[in-house]
Amino acid sequence: MRIKKLNIGILLFVLVGVVPFAAAFIYALLYSFGIIGVANDGFTLQFWESVITSGTFFKSFGYSFLIALVAVAISVGGALWITLKFRQQLETRFMSFIIYLPLAVPGIVTGFFTFQLFSKGGFFARISHKLGFITEASQFPDLVNDGLAIGIIFSFLTMITPFFVLLFLNVYKNERVEELSILAQSLGANANQISRRVFLPILLKKTWVLIVLYFIFLLGAYEVPLILGQESPQMLSVLIIQEIKQYDLDKISEGYVVAVLYTLIVSVAAILLFLPKRKRAYAT
Amino acid sequence: MRLNWKPFVLSLVVLLILFPFVYLVFLSLASEWRFPDVWPSYIGFKNWVTVFNSEAGLLKSFFSSLVISLSVAVFSTTSGFLISKAVFYHPKKRVLTLLAYFPYILAPVVFAACLSFFFLKMGLFGNMTGVVVAQFIIAFPYALLFFSSFWNEKVKSYEDLVATLGGNKWQTYTKVLLPLAKGLILICFFQTFLISWFEYGLTSIIGIGKVQTLTIKVFLFIKEANYFYGALSCCLLIFPPVVLLYFNKRYVFKKFV
Repeated sequence: MRIKKLNIGILLFVLVGVVPFAAAFIYALLYSFGIIGVANDGFTLQFWESVITSGTFFKSFGYSFLIALVAVAISVGGALWITLKFRQQLETRFMSFIIYLPLAVPGIVTGFFTFQLFSKGGFFARISHKLGFITEASQFPDLVNDGLAIGIIFSFLTMITPFFVLLFLNVYKNERVEELSILAQSLGANANQISRRVFLPILLKKTWVLIVLYFIFLLGAYEVPLILGQESPQMLSVLIIQEIKQYDLDKISEGYVVAVLYTLIVSVAAILLFLPKRKRAYAT
Repeated sequence: MRLNWKPFVLSLVVLLILFPFVYLVFLSLASEWRFPDVWPSYIGFKNWVTVFNSEAGLLKSFFSSLVISLSVAVFSTTSGFLISKAVFYHPKKRVLTLLAYFPYILAPVVFAACLSFFFLKMGLFGNMTGVVVAQFIIAFPYALLFFSSFWNEKVKSYEDLVATLGGNKWQTYTKVLLPLAKGLILICFFQTFLISWFEYGLTSIIGIGKVQTLTIKVFLFIKEANYFYGALSCCLLIFPPVVLLYFNKRYVFKKFV
């Protein structure tokens, strides 16, 4: 009876958690090979060849990879520094509420706010005009929809740095880093050695899975690059949706090729992250 | 004497964190703010009055978002809690957990684009039910993984003890498991609520613009360059999470398992 009940649970899990993902992947795969689709008439490698030779996917993937890497590296570095320097101050009642506030802001609002601040008619452009740095809006530097993705990276930083600060503060407390630091100090370690040999290794070891996971989330981010990105290259999700929504029917199949490649990369990352038997990293 | 720089940095951090909230409220009160004016020509409640008269359909969007998010939170938390028991007591739980991670880490908008054909065939395209189902598909793995730490040896021993003492399944749930998991269930409910509340990409694909949640409205206003209404929608979007934060920080802090 117990086994039967467990099986119903597993059946429901497969139905809700596995079937939609499998169906979506198979559909995209079949579409990418021309087996299904309005204008497609049978198996072809044409769309795959087109995507690979044009380099659209690789350009977009490299662009997304770099943006996500820069954003994660800066925010993890910044959050580690804040945790190290301001831990005690952040534990006060007022600060412990304030530091949570950025988590209440969704990506689309962050994108909108960044646009309002940094666009050519935005807040900083007005201030620059008032201070006499520029005389017309077009003289203001490109900080949104720009090639260096400054706007996107700024948004990502404001979105994930507070999260990492809170995460590191939690780990610091739960892993008793304070006590270990005192122990290291009593054994003769200086502040620098404590940071490098105790603080950093413990915090990074306990949170690296989440750091990688956030990198993957940023790789597939949609709202922020949709508002703040440029025409080309685009971040992966924006490129996929743009291609799939095209009126050019060939482009739709090419969009599904990119979607399949992206899904494969993310799935391999999930396998590497979560399949190996390891000691539980940071969890709730 | 060494100057203590920490209070200055902390004050700056507080100002930077509060600035977006103040600026968005300010922008929602403004209108006729042309470049290069540093101050808008109008500041007042005109935009808010218009919204409460339902001219921009924002109140309707607010309530649509609320209904969708509450439905997604109820369904995903309930199913996540019940199904996670079968998954995390299963001998192959590592493989099953991995399977749950696939839809979880895939960008929801890409997932929705690849699923849209099936939604179209099932008549779930461009309506609220479709959006709830689609959001449930991405919130469910989160809820399931959220409860992974709950189903441990200790809880299993409690269950066995109830069975030994003659309790049935219903009693095990109502007298032991639900009271034990009450706190986690509440946190999961609000976190899945926020996953749905913040969702844009998937909703825009499955809702095809017909289901106008607040996030969809924000984007529509950005496209129309109506930044004042955009800011107002942002205020409405941020309001519930801030309220939740006030009651319990864990409702908003998603550690992603």
